Amino acid sequence: MDHKIAIRQFVRELLDNKGDDKPLNDDSHLLTSGRLDSVDAVQIVVMLEEKFAVDFAQIGFDQTMIDSIDAIDSIVRSAQAEETAEPLLKHGK
Amino acid sequence: MAEGSSTATGTLLTTSGWNLASFRLIPRIETYPKVVAFAQTLAGKLILLALFGAGLYVGGQAAVPLTVCLAVMTFVPLTRRLLLTLCTLAFAFLLPWFYGRVPLSLLVTTVQVLVLAGILFWSAAQWPHSFYGRRPLLFLFSLFWLILLWAVLLPPGATASPLFWRFIFIFGNYIWFIGFSLLDAKATAHDDFGRQVGAYLPFWGSSNTPFPKGSAYLRQIEAQNAEQLAITQLKGLKLLAWSLLLLLAFRFMTFAVHGYLQVPTFPEALRLSANRMPLPWYTCWQALLYSFFTGLLSLSIIGHRFIACCRMAGFNALRNTYRPLSSVTVAQFFNRYYFYFKELLLDFFFYPTFLRYFKKHKNLRMAFAIFAAAGFGNALYHFMLSPDFIRKLGFWKALVTFQVYLFYCVLLSIGLTISNLRKKRPKPAGFLRSGLWPSISVVLFYCLLDVFGSTERNYPLVEHFRFFAHLFSINL
Repeated sequence: MDHKIAIRQFVRELLDNKGDDKPLNDDSHLLTSGRLDSVDAVQIVVMLEEKFAVDFAQIGFDQTMIDSIDAIDSIVRSAQAEETAEPLLKHGK
Repeated sequence: MAEGSSTATGTLLTTSGWNLASFRLIPRIETYPKVVAFAQTLAGKLILLALFGAGLYVGGQAAVPLTVCLAVMTFVPLTRRLLLTLCTLAFAFLLPWFYGRVPLSLLVTTVQVLVLAGILFWSAAQWPHSFYGRRPLLFLFSLFWLILLWAVLLPPGATASPLFWRFIFIFGNYIWFIGFSLLDAKATAHDDFGRQVGAYLPFWGSSNTPFPKGSAYLRQIEAQNAEQLAITQLKGLKLLAWSLLLLLAFRFMTFAVHGYLQVPTFPEALRLSANRMPLPWYTCWQALLYSFFTGLLSLSIIGHRFIACCRMAGFNALRNTYRPLSSVTVAQFFNRYYFYFKELLLDFFFYPTFLRYFKKHKNLRMAFAIFAAAGFGNALYHFMLSPDFIRKLGFWKALVTFQVYLFYCVLLSIGLTISNLRKKRPKPAGFLRSGLWPSISVVLFYCLLDVFGSTERNYPLVEHFRFFAHLFSINL
């Protein structure tokens, strides 16, 4: 659950930088609503790569994948699930 | 592209008694609960459609067929996506056939292109882990260029030649739309091909740049209930009204500046400069500024119309042009000026590059991805936009005559890279230093860039440089 707090905080900062003080829910649309733009999307991508080791080159990417905190959270969860599954698979070999 | 602010917001003065910042030329009717509730009733829907149809008529669009399509989608919202496909197909085939404007052979070629799109989409969805499934865009563009190469290599009188070129023209019109479908095919919950077709040159209008992106985007922004539909439609009506106001401004500007003050257009000034009869430097500046602002207005008008119709159909798309003149950075202007073209460059070129290359070198990674999008992608898009040049001149000559736009792409990429990599400094105090001066600098940058930004192919790069130097009273 910790990562969701970190994601929420990061997105809140991006919104604050734009002077957007509207409430932010976990299912609020970020990009399709225009609250964040593509420059912010790149920052989210870099944050996910650096903090949560998400590899978009592997899983594919489109902006709808990071359109809400919930959506971002689900990417992090599947990345972490894969990370835990990988050593098990290697061990199985 | 934040939509929080309305289309016409005064931003200058804020006094204690009277707040100009909250002034809106077109009120935010979508935030009035009574208006939203009324727009959900039968009478409200009819009035909305009548007003919208009248607006389309005044704006000189195909008001009747568009309003009929929008009415059907308003009253049968549950089958909106199916209706979108049917309306789009009707606009692609029935209307041109009805008006007799398009030869039957072109319609047959359109069917061939759609069949090809269907096969490509189905294969990408069916075999996502195959080589093709992992790189469907590479395959799509390679296919286009192979067919083009084949057509170029055909002997001039070959009977197959017109067939090839016809196919290339239509394929070129649809290629970015098909590309968005192929991107969507990778998603686990993608739309079927029937829905994808609804986003191929949709009935509300589009250039070769998909407005607004593809089927996946429509899925995200579709109104989910009656209230959302009413709000979206009210926003659509507002946007159409704004587009009509801009049309008035455009006509006034053309009349006053070009007609009355006799300010030439940029192509006229460039032609005279190339023929060694340059206008005075200050007239060249006037021509450049006039062309820049009319270009901005035209793009806003047409983009707003497309998006207004899209919203009226129940899809809450972002505006194509959103307050570009208040941009304080080069990157911000690029984002706000032609949003859907920028999105195309991002989805097809920027992200695939950014996510794969130079991950460990932050600045190089960003610069390389920007050059891939604003440089390579931008040039490729515009080169593919006019296969007629390739047909008439051959490939190499067509490329040589494209030199000016290639140079433009390089300059734009450099500007965007610097803008993105510059460290954010604390905002300076005062409206002049924090808002006005950066905005003027950005407009000036794009104005000067426009000297090289036209896709006309009459004059070589050196003539554009000559014009550029003349702006600063330097005669080469």
